[in-house]
Amino acid sequence: MNTVVNQTKLNPYSRSVSIIGVGCTPFMNTLEDPATEGLTEGELFGYAAMEAMKDAGVTPKDVDYYFHGQANPMGCDYITPNIMVANWVGMKGKGSIHHSEACCTGYLALEQAVNAVASGKYNVVLSGCVEFGDAIAIPYKPSCFRRRIPMEEFLETTRWIYDKAYTLGMMAGPVINFDDSAEYYARTYGLSVKEMDEVICHMALNNRYNAVHHPLSISKVDFPEIAKAAGYDNVMDFMLSDKENPKMGEYLRVLGTEIKCDGAAAVIVCPTEMVSQFTDKKPIEVLGIGSACLESSNHNLEIHATREAVRQVYELTRVKPEELDLMYVNDFMIPSQLVSAEIAGYLPEGEGWKYIKEGRTRFDGDKPLNTNGGRTSFGHAHAASGLADLYEAVHQMRGDCGEHQVKKLPKTVMLRGFGGSQNVTAAIIRTKEA
Amino acid sequence: MEKKDMEKIVKTFYDKLEEGKIMGRKCTCCNNVEFPPVFICNKCGSFDTEWIELSGKASFKSVMVANGQTAKYPEFLPYALGAVTLEEGSEVNALIGGITKENAEEYRQKLPASCHAKIVQRDGFKTVMFEVD
Repeated sequence: MNTVVNQTKLNPYSRSVSIIGVGCTPFMNTLEDPATEGLTEGELFGYAAMEAMKDAGVTPKDVDYYFHGQANPMGCDYITPNIMVANWVGMKGKGSIHHSEACCTGYLALEQAVNAVASGKYNVVLSGCVEFGDAIAIPYKPSCFRRRIPMEEFLETTRWIYDKAYTLGMMAGPVINFDDSAEYYARTYGLSVKEMDEVICHMALNNRYNAVHHPLSISKVDFPEIAKAAGYDNVMDFMLSDKENPKMGEYLRVLGTEIKCDGAAAVIVCPTEMVSQFTDKKPIEVLGIGSACLESSNHNLEIHATREAVRQVYELTRVKPEELDLMYVNDFMIPSQLVSAEIAGYLPEGEGWKYIKEGRTRFDGDKPLNTNGGRTSFGHAHAASGLADLYEAVHQMRGDCGEHQVKKLPKTVMLRGFGGSQNVTAAIIRTKEA
Repeated sequence: MEKKDMEKIVKTFYDKLEEGKIMGRKCTCCNNVEFPPVFICNKCGSFDTEWIELSGKASFKSVMVANGQTAKYPEFLPYALGAVTLEEGSEVNALIGGITKENAEEYRQKLPASCHAKIVQRDGFKTVMFEVD
């Protein structure tokens, strides 16, 4: 029997909710730079929140409630980290809650905030996420004392996102994710392993191209330059080299996976009818957010869960795929880009790989994807990444991205969240004209 | 936002303790002093705060003598736990050295009683406790 995916019907929000402010720190390895060594979770969350509040035209006094997201408790050594950031955002005494959905945390951070306002309970809500994916806390020491967590040690902690009853014991679930979506795509659309390998490498190239044009990205050097320094005139020879870019599975290579790092991002939402009280900027309305979860014993879980989340949000909003101007996909395993963009109808089914190979999904292409460089090149501060995508989407929709502004001002954008083996979301946001 | 704009408040606080200085952040709008230091004023919500060196003068308004679980820092005994108000206005929970089971009642009778900040060494870093005057 194929994977069972129960369906949910979304109801309209009780009142319209809009994004009025966003903030994002640089994504970085804080311990690698004397300028950032010793920064703490309160400071990163606070800087992102402060930028979002300034952007929104609100002060801490205007904010009724805040959400805090963080994926890995080793990052700060807290299980109630929302409490620890209150003083840093000028909200001592205000209500808050912490949530944690691994790499999907930042996307659900938007959902939490929108629901809180749509329900009528609160008017102005801050939602922020912070992650120390690279510089983790040292127990019993003040938070400015940190140490690097090697990838091997980090990968050990991913056991926290897999089912212990069966999936961990049966072994396939925690590792099949490396190749599951790539194998599905190649099998379904008739690509050989070698052809799929090339497509994956092109996705990594496109992400890096986008990232080196983004001021907050952790990646500052483009792959052709790195390849040349390594003795490769043709960058694809470098990308397809098992020595330079080792395989993680049959399909996925190292440069098609995340760069874990430290960072924070935040958003401010309020009822659309109240936007003019705070800012002259055009509100960006959250039309709807679909959600679906499947744990890792389910084959092709990303495909199934993305289809369901996308189905929900299209059904609710009646937005058509052809109305999407821009898309963001959490792509810590980069084939996510391709399969999600096709499921959403942003790229034509079975044809998206050609767009990717032709560079059409770069920020300066006609079908831009992950204009910040995605998880493989912008960096992955796990909880914060979803809100970093939202930060980027909002600035693209305002048309103020400068050097990396997409060609056509986007009005309608989808963000596909993914993480935690696996929570999946599909949000549609749209600039609201006066 | 650029890295250079992200001032390190926590690290600066601990670095200054190594120099024998206890620092807070003063709001340039309402003069509220945040101790321990943070970069947004919790009183008025202003984003504009600046460093201030604290005098160390303070008073305490409550006394809970260390005992059982609350005596978990034997290197600093005798001490009590209490709410300490700095001369600059901030209130914080703190250890107050010099208070014993025997003399606690004497201090309770004259609350708020005066005390002063003291920089002490913990495992790998310095921190702040208080001592009765």
